[in-house]
Amino acid sequence: MRKVTFRNLSSNRRRLIGTVLGIVLGVAFLSGTMVLSDTITRTFNTLFADVNAGTDAWVRSSDTIEAQFQVVRARVDESLVQTVAGVDGVQAAEGQVMGFAQVVGKDGEPIGNPDMGAPTFGGNWSTVEGLNPFHLVQGRAPRAVEDVVLDKKTADDGKLSVGDRTTVLTEAGPIKVLVVGIAKFGDLDSPGGASFASFTLPAAQRYIAEPGKLDAVAAVADSGVSETDLVSRIERALPTGVEAITGAELTKENQDDIQQGLSFFTVFLSAFAGIALLVATFSIYNTFSIIIAQRTRQMALLRALGASRSQVLRSVLLEAVATGLLASVIGLVVGIGLAGVLKGLLSAFGFDIPAGGTVLKPDTVITALLVGVLVTLVASLAPAVKASRIAPIAALREAAIESTRPSKVRIVIGVLVTLAGAGLVVSSLSAKTATDALGAAGQGAVLLIIATLILGPVMARPIAGLLALPIQRARGFTGRLVRENAMRNPRRTSGAAAALLIGVTVVALMSVFASSIKASVADQVNRSFGGDLVVDSGTFGVGGFNPTFIEQVRALPEVETATSLRFGVMRIADDDKSISVVDPATGPGVFDLEVQQGSLAALGESAVGVSDTIAEEKGYRIGTTLPATFPDGFTTQLTIATIYGAQDVAGNWIIGQPAWNAHAVSNTDAIILLNLRNGVSLQDGKAAVIRVAADYPGAKVQDRDAFAEEAAGFVNQLLALVYVMLTLAILIALFGIANTLSLSVHERTRELGLLRAVGMTRGQLRSTVRWEAVVIAVFGAIGGLGLGVFLAWALVKGAGKGGFTTFQLPIGTLIIVLVIAGIAGLLAGVRAASRAAKLDILTAVGSN
Amino acid sequence: MTARSLTRVTASAPASTAVAIARHAVKIYGTGDTAVRALDDVSVEFPAGRYSAIMGPSGSGKSTLMHCLAGLDSLTSGEVLIDGVELGTLKDKDLTILRRERIGFVFQAYNLVPTLTAEENIVLPLGLAGEKADQAWVDEVVKTVHLGDRLTHRPSELSGGQQQRVAVARALVSKPAIIFADEPTGNLDSRASEEILEFLQRAVRDLGQTIVMVTHEPVAAGYADHVLFLADGKIVDEMPQPTAAKVLDRMKSLEA
Repeated sequence: MRKVTFRNLSSNRRRLIGTVLGIVLGVAFLSGTMVLSDTITRTFNTLFADVNAGTDAWVRSSDTIEAQFQVVRARVDESLVQTVAGVDGVQAAEGQVMGFAQVVGKDGEPIGNPDMGAPTFGGNWSTVEGLNPFHLVQGRAPRAVEDVVLDKKTADDGKLSVGDRTTVLTEAGPIKVLVVGIAKFGDLDSPGGASFASFTLPAAQRYIAEPGKLDAVAAVADSGVSETDLVSRIERALPTGVEAITGAELTKENQDDIQQGLSFFTVFLSAFAGIALLVATFSIYNTFSIIIAQRTRQMALLRALGASRSQVLRSVLLEAVATGLLASVIGLVVGIGLAGVLKGLLSAFGFDIPAGGTVLKPDTVITALLVGVLVTLVASLAPAVKASRIAPIAALREAAIESTRPSKVRIVIGVLVTLAGAGLVVSSLSAKTATDALGAAGQGAVLLIIATLILGPVMARPIAGLLALPIQRARGFTGRLVRENAMRNPRRTSGAAAALLIGVTVVALMSVFASSIKASVADQVNRSFGGDLVVDSGTFGVGGFNPTFIEQVRALPEVETATSLRFGVMRIADDDKSISVVDPATGPGVFDLEVQQGSLAALGESAVGVSDTIAEEKGYRIGTTLPATFPDGFTTQLTIATIYGAQDVAGNWIIGQPAWNAHAVSNTDAIILLNLRNGVSLQDGKAAVIRVAADYPGAKVQDRDAFAEEAAGFVNQLLALVYVMLTLAILIALFGIANTLSLSVHERTRELGLLRAVGMTRGQLRSTVRWEAVVIAVFGAIGGLGLGVFLAWALVKGAGKGGFTTFQLPIGTLIIVLVIAGIAGLLAGVRAASRAAKLDILTAVGSN
Repeated sequence: MTARSLTRVTASAPASTAVAIARHAVKIYGTGDTAVRALDDVSVEFPAGRYSAIMGPSGSGKSTLMHCLAGLDSLTSGEVLIDGVELGTLKDKDLTILRRERIGFVFQAYNLVPTLTAEENIVLPLGLAGEKADQAWVDEVVKTVHLGDRLTHRPSELSGGQQQRVAVARALVSKPAIIFADEPTGNLDSRASEEILEFLQRAVRDLGQTIVMVTHEPVAAGYADHVLFLADGKIVDEMPQPTAAKVLDRMKSLEA
């Protein structure tokens, strides 16, 4: 008997681990994210405060254009330096230039990847005391036009040292430079992982901005003049369209920018914390249900001896709170450790974070504990209520009575909720706007998940029976037992599978969504782009090829037509828009934007083009006139000259080069598309273009298929991260299955002992339990796949109507998910199986 | 495959007329001061075709003796042979197969698999061995225990007496060399008990089955051909051709 008790204890301890694991992970990610965010914020706040300490006022253009990915601020004239310097109370004023520049390393490869990682900047080396955030650690300041000072990180990454000659890619094209100095940014090798090439002011103006122009003017106050005082004095002297802010305000802006740069990371981690906690909720619900079922007699005895319902309820809830609290505390500790790991991870991605102690705010502790305990409490509420409803008579019954027949009420409610959910999701297909569609689909998704949980026990019996049929066929009598066991307690089977179902739903949704994005992008590229080759600068909006490059390409005898695409932002109809710049002369010969009305050739100096989606939404027609402001602040009226369909390629707005070039801040080509002359093979043409591109580091020459593939490549990277997170979620789910099986084995002790006594080998017994686990896991996975695919279909067809042309099922991936779920189920059953196999037969048959 | 390995084991074992033999069987539970000698040098043989009963007061070691004879528990020293095979030398898997093919069990608590029908429970040992049931034999066994109309029922739909009849049929169906019955009537009323005991008796007389039954009920022992009395882990007496009254008298003197 002592043996049995000991086993019970140890099995309870393991079960507890399974229960708390989900909460621990969820809370760990939540608190880890908060700690990391707080730590980064504080260190960067300190850093920027130090760096901008010498700047008392910052004078710049007040014209900005903001769109999805970029903020463009117009430049100011360099005469502004004199204006500011002339203000009473200004001790010194200096022009500031900052823009795109990418340093080429010793190996000839550009350092950093501004599209994926930290930005690459170029600017002027400040000569005014207190205005320069950098300090030289080697070499000297730039004096000649070719001189450049690099941040230490860039110099190290590119293996460049003082005296080396290299190339810097700028909007003015690649330029030859001499490294004269290496500098640190405060204590850091680089500001947040960004690279920085510093020139003399005239050189910076020529390469980074434009001659005679500045991005801003920084000013230092005379002693005794406060920042706000200085700013108000300067403001009085400023022409219209120029603004002044204090150094403190500048610091605040810089800090906010950093926060924003990190937001992707924190949103991502928070999302994962959410999924982990959601899966954990189901896991806990299931475990508590099992624990209650196990203790039915004990509870009934308590009730028979006079315990009130509320006492039983409270005792279960108290246990939940204790479990939740324990898990949350562990999660918090793990989270603090996790923050350190994540910090390292960010550094590895090139996001350099200043050294500094970990910041643990009371907010983090309170949130983590509260969330952990609340989730556990909510998850255990239903089992607790059920426990309080156990009748005292149950104490007298021989064994727990298994409820095999799902109630009619459950079926009716389940079907109604399913219909409501499916109806909402389907209605999203005909919603007017993407937001409406997303809302309807989202509500429908929640209802469907609830419906799945309600109907789970109803479905578990027939589906588990069906799934186990092949096992029964293949394994004869043992298979028969597997099937009966999987079917015998449908409520438990579906409870065990619920957590996995949620996890797999998200995986399936993501996979289908991603695969449809990829298929749609490839489809769009193939339809819109009739050219043979693409030369990609690897930059989007900022940087790119100097226009001399396309002239060189056009001059090649192998090339028939070459055209370019540029990306920028401008204000149209009082709203900042991302816009694609096309060449009306050469564009139509190379790409097809599915023009529906008007023509690309009509994109002259005062014309603009719009996608059919926007045109329909806003009621724009050919000839509609809209107010517009260019990046340089020039305001005019533009007339719609074309309406096109290929918004996946060109975005919602296009403009012709004749209109753009005169008023753009940057005039570089992001992508060059070209057709080869008849008779020139793709191979020869590519080789010829590659020869020209050799002078432009970073240029990537690709044929159309490779380009289409890469255009959708970002999806893969995102997907890889999503898969890593969901693997963890599925892991949590598997602990739930393992728990369920351990309990099943425990409950069937006598039965299993009998089977052993009459001749079942250990191997046969192990295999029965393992296969049962597989049936449960596959049941959950199939439900998840079905739900996920349906939701993805609705999203692609409804909310994503504008963005998707193709709904594609990644059959291979989905099958792999199913197989992995099955294998994972097998693993989840290992412990229970070996416990079953080790059962002492005499204890089991209850003869002692 | 499994059957072959067993044949090998059997072939190498010495021949004997007794189906189950215990020689100098000693079983000690615990160690040191708390050690309990459950079996204290027991030597006994159970010849083929005999219905033997083992009796004794609580703690006399009767159940331990049966468990060790049936390969459910192992001896501290001494040996047990079933059908000529020394159990102590067998690995778990071979022991399992030996149980499956040579030994039948009837337990006090019926111990049927709740998810299987009566018929499936009956053919369970054959199913586990992956063998096809000999339908004529199954029919005969079913007829013997009067279960014809209950075959498709699950255990929860059967009375205690019916469940125990299924258990008896299950023990008979693999034609084992010996059946061990552990208090088979302990959970039944007198009418159902009588039925079960008659079935067991008929299995011995009509089918030539060998049965060893542990019981503490003199009435049950009265059905046996031969009774063995245990006390304090030793065999203290035996009684051929027992009757319930004679057994009751003997038990009173043992417990006194």
